[in-house]
Amino acid sequence: MNTAAGLLSVRNICKSHFDPNIGGQAEALQAVSITVDHHEFVSVIGPSGCGKSTLLRIVAGLDQPNSGEISVAGQRVSRPGADRGMVFQEYALFPWKTTQANVEFGLLLKGIKKEERAEIARRFIELVGLKGSEQKYPHHLSGGMRQRAAVARAMANNPKILLMDEPFAAVDAMTRQRLQEELTAISASERTTVLFVTHAIEEAVFLSDRVVVLSGRPGRVIADMKIELDRPRRWDELAGERRFNDYREQLTRLLYGANAPVEMSS
Amino acid sequence: MTASAPSSRLPLTAWWLAWLIKEIMPFAVGVLIWQVLSVLDIWPSVLFPSPFQVFRAFVTDLESGVLLSSLGVSLISLCWGFFVGAAIALPLGYLMGLHSVSRDFFDPLVNLLQAIPGLAWIPFAILWFGLGKGAVIFIIVMSVFFPILHNLLTGIRLIQPVLIEASQTLGAGRAAIIRHIIFPATLPNLMTGIRLGIAFGFRSLVGGEMIASTDGIGYQIFNAQQYFQSARIVVGMLSIGIVWLLLDRLLLRPIEQRTTMRWGLLREGIDNT
Ligand SMILES: Nc1ncnc2c1ncn2[C@@H]1O[C@H](COP(=O)(O)OP(=O)(O)OP(=O)(O)O)[C@@H](O)[C@H]1O
Ligand SMILES: [Mg+2]
Repeated sequence: MNTAAGLLSVRNICKSHFDPNIGGQAEALQAVSITVDHHEFVSVIGPSGCGKSTLLRIVAGLDQPNSGEISVAGQRVSRPGADRGMVFQEYALFPWKTTQANVEFGLLLKGIKKEERAEIARRFIELVGLKGSEQKYPHHLSGGMRQRAAVARAMANNPKILLMDEPFAAVDAMTRQRLQEELTAISASERTTVLFVTHAIEEAVFLSDRVVVLSGRPGRVIADMKIELDRPRRWDELAGERRFNDYREQLTRLLYGANAPVEMSS
Repeated sequence: MTASAPSSRLPLTAWWLAWLIKEIMPFAVGVLIWQVLSVLDIWPSVLFPSPFQVFRAFVTDLESGVLLSSLGVSLISLCWGFFVGAAIALPLGYLMGLHSVSRDFFDPLVNLLQAIPGLAWIPFAILWFGLGKGAVIFIIVMSVFFPILHNLLTGIRLIQPVLIEASQTLGAGRAAIIRHIIFPATLPNLMTGIRLGIAFGFRSLVGGEMIASTDGIGYQIFNAQQYFQSARIVVGMLSIGIVWLLLDRLLLRPIEQRTTMRWGLLREGIDNT
């Protein structure tokens, strides 16, 4: 259908897993198609277990779909690659590398020279507000700092698209809002293309140009909503914004509807 | 902070004192109890030599050169045994850990063989290599090999898949994953394996030299027993312990402090946070 459009094109992805409870395959994703344009920030929301992480892992090339295909800039992809950077919910920083070395890692693999690596890494470390923690190992960073380091590591590698799986789920509410504001500012200034997974409606509205809603398991796309608010955004400005609350309400209703008729008959 | 220059000497001295107490105290207490037990004269000295007798035997063996030369022989055997054992265990371990066909093939064999103590190889070691260093080294290889292999395999199994996945999304291929993820991630378990390997190696070394050799510290212990020179037995036993301590303090621990402890993958103990 929309074959030519977009930087990332997810077409008709179906995926099932073996489920020991029913002794057979259980569908996780049902013909999911999503397009993400250049410089666009798209969030995927859906009830828990609807296949959001599965979808992101398939896009990253870490899982294989049963059918359907993924293309980035018109090229089909099926293996992991540096063109799709990923920020994992559990940070996944390398414990044996300092913040600096973690952020430099992708650049090292690309064969970029030491000084240039250090320079790029410094820039992104500063961008995420980790200046001064370059020589610390991950176990000496707080949860929020680890998350920033993981974002810096993914962004310093200059991927075509950044995939983020509930990256702020494990930090406290205040840190989360700070990180969201920083992410929206950075992605706007760096013009990063982002596919962001969350189950927090406010987070999706706050961050995104578009929000894609998945149904309860098996995940199907049930809505694709444009968020027409200027970016970058700030929480203190959005708190009283009518349209923000409208979007939030609409999505809440959609999600509530998506969650109600659970299709698990077993 | 400005007046720190004159006062900085005191903490340094105090630090040295604390270090000395921490390092020496356990041994001092041990020797003290030993001395008290000897003074009480419960057992004849041939069964329970006193610290002083042991010290005198130590000086004699040191002066005659017997102690150092037999220690030298033993350590050379240990090194050979360790390096040969590790040189086989490391590649095999990474092969088994990263290649399922090799794992399926070697796993049952390794499992069968690892239950056999190194010392059980003494008869064949003597038949194959004759009495002497060859037999001793072979026994050490058989003792060093399994702890290293086993711990390395455990280390590979414990690697978090998400770290490998993260490296893949940063562009890592198979070679880069092995070099940048698998190697450092297996280091804590590998160090455990190396420690255990050396410890097992020491045991087999002494046992092997007693039976399968005519030289080395194990043979000296055995020999001293033949002549009821109990103090010399203790000298031999203690020198093994001291060599191990030096090895641990000067080599193994610094490596761990520079790697796994710094990375937060290993701690001294759970009271130490
Ligand atoms: N490796 C796997 N093997 C078997 N089943 C799996 C596997 N991974 C995911 N599933 C199943 O697929 C479904 C979707 O899982 P997924 O982790 O993608 O959900 P999610 O939308 O990310 O949920 P959450 O919001 O809780 O993170 C779940 O029912 C899960 O049990
Ligand atoms: Mg998930």
